[in-house]
Amino acid sequence: MSSVETKYFGAVSAETGVVIEFPAGLPAFERERLFLAIEHPRTEPFVLLQSMCTRELCFLALPVSAVEPAYRLQMSDEDLDALQLDRAANQVSAEDIAALALVVVGPDGRMSANLMSPVVVNRRNRRAIQSVRWDGAYAHNHPVELPVLAAGTEGPLCS
Amino acid sequence: MLVIRRRAGESVLIGDDVEVEILEVSGAQVKIGISAPREVLILRREVRLTAEQNELAAKPVPFSSLVGLFEKMKHSPQGPESPGDKGR
Repeated sequence: MSSVETKYFGAVSAETGVVIEFPAGLPAFERERLFLAIEHPRTEPFVLLQSMCTRELCFLALPVSAVEPAYRLQMSDEDLDALQLDRAANQVSAEDIAALALVVVGPDGRMSANLMSPVVVNRRNRRAIQSVRWDGAYAHNHPVELPVLAAGTEGPLCS
Repeated sequence: MLVIRRRAGESVLIGDDVEVEILEVSGAQVKIGISAPREVLILRREVRLTAEQNELAAKPVPFSSLVGLFEKMKHSPQGPESPGDKGR
């Protein structure tokens, strides 16, 4: 059983989470391809995205719906291709994908979530991208209000 | 900022090596074509912004404040449970 060195919890079993792959990495972290997505009752509704190769890299993420209940995802054809989703389909089912916003915690403890560039995971094949919106509909530093409502609409990353 | 009016099919030159051509204008969208040397990095502004935001998101959060955060976030009291018991 392989284990993953984590920033916050020491070494954990890879079974603790779901391994997701960003074939193109993330902007500024292009070489980081594999992350362990950790969901845990104690950190709910946060999802931790722990890099599998860099112990010190662990993103805090929130389901976009926990930050903005009315969030509507908009992806380019290139993004759909990268996730191997059918670009002919007009709608993608929420069961097929998870959309997470990366969270920045400021020095004063205030949080913001990047709703402009959601991390989108295809639950079926566990491929992920950071999808950078072009429509200006959401901010890259959307303030997160406490307490965030539990994300009842989002299931676990993988079933 | 230099402002230039251009129509589809017209272009502007930046320095010796960069050409920006307006390919198509439809509604609120403009399709542009950029010819530039390989070593010139071309990014949508949102991608640069995302990279900067990712750098910030990667900054360490003290574990204590993280725990405090999770405590505040908790919508219902839950005892400690072993990891990996969710979604499987």
